[in-house]
Amino acid sequence: MTSTGSVVESVEAGNATVSLGNVRRTYYLGEPVHALDGVSLDLPDGSFTAVMGPSGSGKSTLMNMVGCLDTPDEGTVHVEGRNVTALSGSERAQLRGTELGFIFQQFNLMPRLTAAENVTLPLVFNDAVDVDRRERAETLLSRVGLGDRLDHAPPELSGGQRQRVAIARALVNEPSLVLADEPTGNLDTGTGAEIMDLFAELHAASRTILMVTHERHIAEHAERIVHLVDGQIQEIEQLDSGAHTGGSQ
Amino acid sequence: MKVTESFRISWRAITGHKLRSGLTTLGIIIGVGSVIVFMVLGGAFEQNIAQEIEEGNDEPGMWVHTQQADSGFGDSPFVRAKFFTDSDVAALESIDTVEFVAPSARFPVAQLTHDGHQRTGGFAVEATTPERLEGDVVEGDTFAAEDEIVLTEEATDLVEGGLSVGDEVEISFDGAGSETFTVVGIVEPTSTGGNSLVPTAGYVSLSNYETTIETPDGNQERAYRELIVAAESSEVLDQAQQDTLKYLRSDSDAAQLKEDEHVLKAQTVDDAIDQVGDIVDQLTVFIGGIAGISLVVGSIGIANIMIVSVTERTRDIGVMKAVGARKRDVIQLFLVESVILGAIGALLGVLVGLGFGYLGVSVIGWPMVLPTDWILIAVFIGVTVGVLSGLYPAWRGAKVDPIEALRHE
Ligand SMILES: Nc1ncnc2c1ncn2[C@@H]1O[C@H](COP(=O)(O)OP(=O)(O)O)[C@@H](O)[C@H]1O
Ligand SMILES: [Mg+2]
Repeated sequence: MTSTGSVVESVEAGNATVSLGNVRRTYYLGEPVHALDGVSLDLPDGSFTAVMGPSGSGKSTLMNMVGCLDTPDEGTVHVEGRNVTALSGSERAQLRGTELGFIFQQFNLMPRLTAAENVTLPLVFNDAVDVDRRERAETLLSRVGLGDRLDHAPPELSGGQRQRVAIARALVNEPSLVLADEPTGNLDTGTGAEIMDLFAELHAASRTILMVTHERHIAEHAERIVHLVDGQIQEIEQLDSGAHTGGSQ
Repeated sequence: MKVTESFRISWRAITGHKLRSGLTTLGIIIGVGSVIVFMVLGGAFEQNIAQEIEEGNDEPGMWVHTQQADSGFGDSPFVRAKFFTDSDVAALESIDTVEFVAPSARFPVAQLTHDGHQRTGGFAVEATTPERLEGDVVEGDTFAAEDEIVLTEEATDLVEGGLSVGDEVEISFDGAGSETFTVVGIVEPTSTGGNSLVPTAGYVSLSNYETTIETPDGNQERAYRELIVAAESSEVLDQAQQDTLKYLRSDSDAAQLKEDEHVLKAQTVDDAIDQVGDIVDQLTVFIGGIAGISLVVGSIGIANIMIVSVTERTRDIGVMKAVGARKRDVIQLFLVESVILGAIGALLGVLVGLGFGYLGVSVIGWPMVLPTDWILIAVFIGVTVGVLSGLYPAWRGAKVDPIEALRHE
């Protein structure tokens, strides 16, 4: 159903969208836990990167760093050329609202808003964007195959449908970077595969994607897999099969 | 984030929990409602007194009496002592703009007996001059002799079987003996001045009045607490008032007899209505203030529910922050929500208060007066309460760490 047409228009290719330099993030629970222990990683424009690793290896912490939700204790984070560590809380919020799209394992839709309203939620916090929200939501929901579910509330949708709404929401602000933390973790295999088809389309449209997963077959949709162990990059595995268009190293 | 946006989203949150939102606003509804009820009752009471004072006074005139200079809150400003002498009455009567002066002396009645039927207290008999009643007689005539009485229309059904011209009534006065009077006339209600709470049942001749005082000249003269001064016409009422005051404050016996802290007053109908209004206003504000305490309770209720709601929606807050909401957006959302709750509570409270107030004044028979000022004040207070009770929860919401919020199920 998603094999024709692309989910989004192509973005212009450039250099690295994200650049992490020796990032360290330590939690102190009695003794220090290094959630990220000197991680350096570039996400080139249009690249599709998967992150794998055992539970507690720092995958989510890495996502939060790249997603400008967290700041490092040491090291540097640059997103879209902006030095994230130098930004204030509200500047980071604005950066998230304008440059990033989030997709979560738990979908994280607002239960009292309709599908269409959920999709356009990021625009609510972005006064600069003045578009016909309804129209925008309709376009995006149609592209993820939910053109007939605009006014449904999340509880009325299946897990796969909710994740599609979440993907539409992640794209509403035309982000340069899409972040997904276990996007298929709560879905059955068939639905998960459909969601991955959407990711393939995003990749084909040259979106930069960072995706956390613990399933190898999901990770194989990407161009490369970053293996994290104990907060450190153990290996960056290049995949040939995942490469479609867009950036490569 | 646009305010209209936050209204839309907050409204969803409120209507999503109808019962809870309803219970939350209940405190505000009761608080604002009771304030409005008291304001309606107070306003109606005031209006009612004003009407009664006006009704009995189609002739231009004023009351002359003594007041406490600085009566504190809750004190009656009226001085009970009798300072106006017969010489003062004569002097005032000689003023050009004054038509007549009627001394008025009120005796509280302990019991009235007629034909074996009795009525106990709660009203007064006034000793005055017959001229004062002339315009008001509806049946019979005004009194001429000491043992004659003129009853007010209301007083005719004080005892079983009623009273009419020609009847004999025995009246025993509080702390004095009893006298027998013949009813010679009936008058329509004539006002007794602004300072009496018990109604006047009848009028008798001043010859029944025996209180005397030693004048500054050393004579014994009858002395009165209150005089009614009638002006020649309403055109000269102001002049009459000025002339009267001028005499009272300079040459009168009363000016010398009164204590330092007393002030001699000559009040027209309008003055009296104003003064009653002031007293009632003070009282209403006081009672309304007490009712306003329930507003505090109401605001605690809103704050409480908002804190619960912030906790419940921690994940939603995390999502909103992840997709670009700043602290101030979150604060705005929760403040708008609590302001909506406060404003709705206040509006419903106004409606409920007006409803019960209307019911109250209808039952008592007072005129309905819309307390416009208080309606505006109440709504303003409701919104303020909303803001204040929303501040802390909103701050808590703004503090939510999106990473923590999104971390767990
Ligand atoms: N808020 C926190 N407080 C304390 N320790 C934390 C916190 N967040 C993460 N950690 C720790 O950091 C490490 C990495 O966590 P996380 O990035 O969530 O791992 P993953 O997503 O790979 O399972 C874990 O040991 C975890 O216990
Ligand atoms: Mg994780």
